[in-house]
Amino acid sequence: MLLEAPRFVLPETLAEALAARAERPEAVVVAGGTEVMPDLLWRNRTAAGFLSLRRVAALRGTTTDGGDLVIGAGTPVAALTTAPDGGLRAAASSLGTPLVRTEATIGGNVVSALPYRNLLPTLLAGGATLELTSAAGTRVVPFDGFVTAPGVTGLREGELLTAVRLPAHVGFADYAKVGRRNAQFVATVSAAVVSRDGVARLAFGNAGPIPLRSDAVDTAATALLDGQATADDLRSTVAAAVDPPEDAVASADYRRHALGVLAVRLVTRAAVDAGLGS
Amino acid sequence: MTAVEDPRPEVAGGTDGPDSSVTFALTVDGTAHEVTARWDESLLTVLRDRLGVRGPKTGCAHGRCGACAVKADLGDGGHVLCSCLVPAATAAGGTVETIASIGGPDGALSDVQEAFLAEGAVQCGICTSGFVTAATELLDTNPDPTRTEIEAALYGNLCRCTGYGRIVAAVETAARTRRGDA
Ligand SMILES: Cc1cc2nc3c(=O)[nH]c(=O)nc-3n(C[C@H](O)[C@H](O)[C@H](O)COP(=O)(O)OP(=O)(O)OC[C@H]3O[C@@H](n4cnc5c(N)ncnc54)[C@H](O)[C@@H]3O)c2cc1C
Ligand code: FES
Ligand code: FES
Repeated sequence: MLLEAPRFVLPETLAEALAARAERPEAVVVAGGTEVMPDLLWRNRTAAGFLSLRRVAALRGTTTDGGDLVIGAGTPVAALTTAPDGGLRAAASSLGTPLVRTEATIGGNVVSALPYRNLLPTLLAGGATLELTSAAGTRVVPFDGFVTAPGVTGLREGELLTAVRLPAHVGFADYAKVGRRNAQFVATVSAAVVSRDGVARLAFGNAGPIPLRSDAVDTAATALLDGQATADDLRSTVAAAVDPPEDAVASADYRRHALGVLAVRLVTRAAVDAGLGS
Repeated sequence: MTAVEDPRPEVAGGTDGPDSSVTFALTVDGTAHEVTARWDESLLTVLRDRLGVRGPKTGCAHGRCGACAVKADLGDGGHVLCSCLVPAATAAGGTVETIASIGGPDGALSDVQEAFLAEGAVQCGICTSGFVTAATELLDTNPDPTRTEIEAALYGNLCRCTGYGRIVAAVETAARTRRGDA
């Protein structure tokens, strides 16, 4: 342990971090701090202490295991801007600013679980799984279903997110978001696509309270990909599948429209990549 | 170790009891300190209000403007970050280099600082130490950046005064000087 104080603990190993997690259930886990510190500043949350993961080297870095890209939860988003997966790359490159990306971690993005967070649609479209570890061991769960409400996840007491596993694939993956301005914007809505072997899979951010995908949308997207359906067909399928929020940033109608536009844009890029479109 | 001079009263105590403080070693611009701070204090607050290191500025205090940028080694080799986003005790045993480490020890200006002056890239100056810090990191890793690369690298630094044109020109000038081009 690098530092232990009544309200602050700075472990160096995963075992120390898990022990601290069990001993200090009231402490807020802080990885990069890019969500937690502004939240405290704006009094959006209170905290009784910090468990900082920043010095746990074992949580940082990317490896491959079988067909999966295994990304340590403490890996900074900056490292993902050159990931082999095009969707992850695009989502990471458009997150915050260079000075935020060196601190922001993939784990913090996932556990924040807010519907407009960049990496979430990419992980849903890509069929990611999560490694959740406690002192009792590790369980692997699908990312699909992990977020149960805005800001709420299936993480249990004593658990840390330790890694995100993304199936590596030969195919096309991309991500796009729209916001109210061109600089430093939070996604009004976002979308991610994965296409392989002629099949397209889409996922959306801020299209509902949790990251959203639907079989009907994927069927329409796949049909558009091989010229069996029109862009209008996909747009109307998306409009029927999503349930976007209405807030001060945008109306639900605007979001429904923009999600259709992003869906068509991403499937068109996938078609061009596959040599199917122009 | 140097004694901490005149810590500001609002950060000296803490508001939630004796348990709220945390003590750790931190080296700033080559000087070793033992810092006692509140557990949730940012690195920026510790630098400015506890250690009296005033190079990093408080612009937004939540990661948007880059005025607080410093180079910090938190056991990962070191890179430029927003000190307002980092809980200070996370840096225990680490090192921080502020704008004071970028110029010469005798107050001499670095090539990037000279270029900011020569190109008129400084107006009120609040953003300047952050811009110089980010620009120095860029040129250390990419000696011949394109304009697009410069703009991308400085995307996390905001300036309310200059309109950015002079700043980008200054970075281009510093890059040319550093490469030995005219
Ligand atoms: C200026 C600025 C711009 C931003 N722009 C964007 C943007 O464009 N898109 C975007 O998606 N986000 C953005 N963010 C938000 C933030 O940077 C990201 O969500 C980031 O990925 C959070 O990671 P972190 O490590 O900093 O999280 P932290 O603040 O450390 O933690 C976030 C949450 O996750 C929990 N947590 C973290 N790691 C773990 C773990 N391993 N196990 C269990 N719980 C954990 C924490 O307890 C906390 O609840 C921005 C933030 C700032 C300050
Ligand atoms: S003061 Fe830190 S980014 Fe604005
Ligand atoms: S010179 Fe005033 S903010 Fe940049």
